[in-house]
Amino acid sequence: MATTISGTGTPTIGSRGLPFAFRGLLWGAIGFLAGALLTAGVRVLLGYPAFALEPVVVIGYVFGLSGWFLGVGVWETWARGWLGRETVAYKPDGWRRYFGFHQDHKVIGIQYGVTFIALFLIAGLLAMFMRAELMETGRTIFGPAGYNRVMSLHGLMMVLVAVTAVPGAFGNYVMPLQIGAEDMAFPRLNALSYWFWPPVAILLLASQFVGGWDTGWTGYVPLAVVNRPGQLFYALAFITAGLSSVVAAVNFVTTVVKMRAPGMTWRRVPIFTWAILFTGILSLLFTQAVAVALAMTIFDRIVGGAFFDPVLGGLPVLYQHIFWFYSHPAVYVMVLPSLGVLLEILPVFSRKPLFGYKWAVGGIIGISALSAVVWAHHMFTTDIGVTTKIGFMLTTEAISVPTGLVFLSAVGTIWRGKLWLKTPMLFALAIVFNFLIGGVTGVFLSDVPADVQLQDTFWVVAHFHYTIVGAGIFGLFAGIYYWFPKMTGRMLDERLGKIHFWMMFLGFNLTFLPMFWLGLNGMNRRIADYQPSLEGVNTFVSLAGFFLGASFLFFIWNAVVSWRRGAPAGDNPWGARTLEWLTTSPPPELNFDGEPEVTGDPYGYGTDGPAHAIVRGETGGEG
Amino acid sequence: MTAHAHPGYRELHRYGLWLFIASEAFLFAVLLAVRFFFTGLDRPEALNVPLGVVLTIILLASSYTLHRGEKAAEVGDQAGLRLGLLLTMGLGVVFLVIVGFEWAAGFVEFPASTPYGAVFYLITGAHALHLLSGLLVLASLYIQAGRGVLDEGNRWKVEAGALYWHFVDVIWLSVFTTLYLL
Repeated sequence: MATTISGTGTPTIGSRGLPFAFRGLLWGAIGFLAGALLTAGVRVLLGYPAFALEPVVVIGYVFGLSGWFLGVGVWETWARGWLGRETVAYKPDGWRRYFGFHQDHKVIGIQYGVTFIALFLIAGLLAMFMRAELMETGRTIFGPAGYNRVMSLHGLMMVLVAVTAVPGAFGNYVMPLQIGAEDMAFPRLNALSYWFWPPVAILLLASQFVGGWDTGWTGYVPLAVVNRPGQLFYALAFITAGLSSVVAAVNFVTTVVKMRAPGMTWRRVPIFTWAILFTGILSLLFTQAVAVALAMTIFDRIVGGAFFDPVLGGLPVLYQHIFWFYSHPAVYVMVLPSLGVLLEILPVFSRKPLFGYKWAVGGIIGISALSAVVWAHHMFTTDIGVTTKIGFMLTTEAISVPTGLVFLSAVGTIWRGKLWLKTPMLFALAIVFNFLIGGVTGVFLSDVPADVQLQDTFWVVAHFHYTIVGAGIFGLFAGIYYWFPKMTGRMLDERLGKIHFWMMFLGFNLTFLPMFWLGLNGMNRRIADYQPSLEGVNTFVSLAGFFLGASFLFFIWNAVVSWRRGAPAGDNPWGARTLEWLTTSPPPELNFDGEPEVTGDPYGYGTDGPAHAIVRGETGGEG
Repeated sequence: MTAHAHPGYRELHRYGLWLFIASEAFLFAVLLAVRFFFTGLDRPEALNVPLGVVLTIILLASSYTLHRGEKAAEVGDQAGLRLGLLLTMGLGVVFLVIVGFEWAAGFVEFPASTPYGAVFYLITGAHALHLLSGLLVLASLYIQAGRGVLDEGNRWKVEAGALYWHFVDVIWLSVFTTLYLL
């Protein structure tokens, strides 16, 4: 196969002219028009009016997506092979490598990282507008309808960021290095999984030109069947993101299972890699369910199906079952990779072995297994029956046991350690703090009678932000501060990093802690207004939110300046033992100048045990 | 090719394809669960069960012809491979045409605005789309076989296409059982 890992001798493309991403846009537009015309033609033949927005968009999108992929580089690097012709490699130098179908996991990791930081900042800006609306009672800037549009877009974008950013950036960049592989198992599938994302972004942008949508990120029916066409774009964007997840998950699981370096037995697998493995398994299996739920919504919208219309015998609650059958495991897709980052960083900066390694792995496995049987705790105010609710209450509460194992591993690692408080460590410690609050407040929600009171209040908003931002997004930044030197060869500035950390940590807690109180006092989520007695606290929360938002300006400044002019990092600036630190920063094309071999425990800091790994024959040749 | 130890091309790809099949199996498991959750065991009288049996026989036959083609490829018989692919694709197209006729009749008897109709078109539609993607894979193999590139080193491509096609057939068996028999 011409998968071009070895580089020399294979013809390459993309080093001149417009970057391939632009050609992808052009071919995608042509595909869309072709699909739209085809739909119109078929409609005329069947005796319908030629134009109807939603059918045209769906079929046009399928063709447009195909055109996009072919244009962005699939044609030369892959599809020609389906016709029995020679394929070539996309391997330009410099900045061009990021704008086409490049198959190196290190390029793809950076593509994911930069894309998702950008989406995170845009979605965060939307949150600033939401807090501006909620600053005072009554209409402040856009009123109820506009608020729900902005809230929905913020919600979906942030969910996509939380699901994808850490596995996309570090699962791709770091995991293959950690296991001593030269790349992912399927480099072309890896590139495919990334290039699904620009169409998602285009759909979300386009949705705003047809009125947006107002169901939040959950897209509950029957509203999602009868509202504006923006809802269709929501469904297509979500399904596309899901396709990317499934493709990426096949790759992650195969890579971890099959591509580990000699000597890396399961007991020597770094904890972040474990987290990515189980994130992959969850995505692989459950993402299909959300595709079904959204396909049913599209079906009802376009052909007047009976799924969710009670008049026709439909069952709206069925949507919630299927949706949460995916979306609860998805919560762990958001959090597990960051817990992996957390447990990866703590031993390095505590200079101690990871406490209870086996128990922590067991915790990750237990969380993954239980996550499949807790979905109906999102449905305690529906008519699913008391016994069902009690059952789901018990499974939900049981999830605190494996989560507790991960937590104990974190606390035990810090315990009596000699803490080295660099920026990555500060973020890691913040995760321990935030996730404790997120976990404890979740226990209230798992309890049926309490949840009936708290459902759809700001208590829920505060709780899931503490878990998904407090652990997931803090984990993203912990990972960035920890692995940025490996990815760029340069250190981030410590002083700016600490300013970012303290502003983000304080801003986050000052924003979301008062929301528990607001929820208890009856403030509803997804509504642009509230009772006047809550105005003072809301004003405070909004100001704290703006402070939180401002913290990222320091991050952007730091990242941009340090990428170009930061202090050289060297191979291993943190004195860490895992394999990604046993190569240059950034690593060479095949990751190691030699043959990695794993010889010991990954976290034996301060012990006499053998090194975790060695790289044999470091001459850049065939070891 | 490189200094790193890693498993053979075929082993790696086989593992990945099985993972993908597991994922797809979840898709259909959820779809079939929808049928029972939504309509219980009710079934419209107008459902053409004999036609469902015909569809099942066609797909089972297509799995057989593809298997013959794969066996031919294993002994280097390119003409046999192409014949097997051609017969399989023909059966696949016949299957889709019959499904089309069945839908046209069904739209009158149990339209999509009835619970069973919604379930029926969603599930058979999802299966038909998978079958269509399988046809594209087989067409690609047919073209490659014609250009003589499916030699010893590319045997995996034939195996992969066949595995996917058989999977789509097995899915049909569970779709048929769920929609026509239960």
